[in-house]
Amino acid sequence: MHARIEDFDRTYSRFRDDSLVSTIARAPNTYRFPADAPPLFELYRRLYIATKGAMSPLVGRALEELGYDRTYSLQPSATLTRVPEWQEALSWNGSELTTHTPALLDIGAAGKGYLVDLVAEVLREHGVGATTVDASGDFLHRGETPLRVALEHPLDVSKAIGVVSVQNQAMCASAPNRRAWAGLHHILDARTGLPTDRIIATWAIAATALEADGLATALFFAEPAELATEFEFQYVRMFSTGRVEYSPDLNGELFV
Amino acid sequence: MRSLADNKTATALFAGITLVGALSACSSPATGTDSSVTGGAPATANGTYTDGTYTETGNYTSPNGAEKVDVTLTLESNLITDVTVVGFGESPNSKQYQGQFINGIAAIVVGKNIDKLSVDKVAGSSLTSGGFTKAVDAIKADALAK
Repeated sequence: MHARIEDFDRTYSRFRDDSLVSTIARAPNTYRFPADAPPLFELYRRLYIATKGAMSPLVGRALEELGYDRTYSLQPSATLTRVPEWQEALSWNGSELTTHTPALLDIGAAGKGYLVDLVAEVLREHGVGATTVDASGDFLHRGETPLRVALEHPLDVSKAIGVVSVQNQAMCASAPNRRAWAGLHHILDARTGLPTDRIIATWAIAATALEADGLATALFFAEPAELATEFEFQYVRMFSTGRVEYSPDLNGELFV
Repeated sequence: MRSLADNKTATALFAGITLVGALSACSSPATGTDSSVTGGAPATANGTYTDGTYTETGNYTSPNGAEKVDVTLTLESNLITDVTVVGFGESPNSKQYQGQFINGIAAIVVGKNIDKLSVDKVAGSSLTSGGFTKAVDAIKADALAK
């Protein structure tokens, strides 16, 4: 399991020099990806379209420039580069990525969820039945007893705004509250290169943690009805006004 | 836990009515027209409703001009079993309001203390690494020193 996590990190981490992602960032070229890459790229491509370009794996450079870099300098640089559009920067053929610019990929919006799925898969291959893989913020449950999960209030972490039941599903939460600095945070709209401010927390429940994680981020940028044409999921999200919106089919209770 | 799922359609309808009311209240009175009724006529005086699917168009004037929403609901034995809402808002503002209305149920929530709830897990933003926390502390210290 640790070897699986290390493999993943060595491919996708933006924070280590020896990763594939760091190599790609140095020069445009064609790069072969490991066998786990297709579902991740496919999800990003679907979300890029569903959010009209707001959610992109190409926000790496912008995050770095805002100060979210490997040393956590947390000091925004004076100039910010525009986030390139997918078509101008990347082509993905199912196993190889061709970059047309020195692209700094950031798969932070769905990568951790995907790793949760991959770890759960390792456990399944080893005959482990009932499982909960919890990566803080993202988890997957498999078993006969549902999990009761509190939805943490983004403005007061000692409080919950509701409780949902999760069984044989994955759930991911996203909020900028723990990763904010200098009036900035880590959830960027690729169209502006700047943090979003309309939504302050999201929760998504889906069949895989890859999807749930990606959707939790997408809910910051896109209307749930738009995402529902492409994905099957339940959600809760909180606006900066304090108002909460949730799926009619949510399996749970909100404290209204 | 279960109650919310069971009452979903009724709640959705109430949320809808509130929103249409709120939008129309800030401008001209809303008007409704029956555009289609299938399966029977609605509402007798004693509160018994005829089963069927009803579609109603609500017109209202927002600061952005004339707007409308189509609401279709299905009644069975005096219970609402299905609700569909289609909005036709053209301005970004209307799209936003109607989107919120159509997408899901809107509510104002009150927080409850997590330690008083019986739950297996808490879902919130992921915990931050030590490095990040230290960096934020350093920025705060810098800001204080200036």
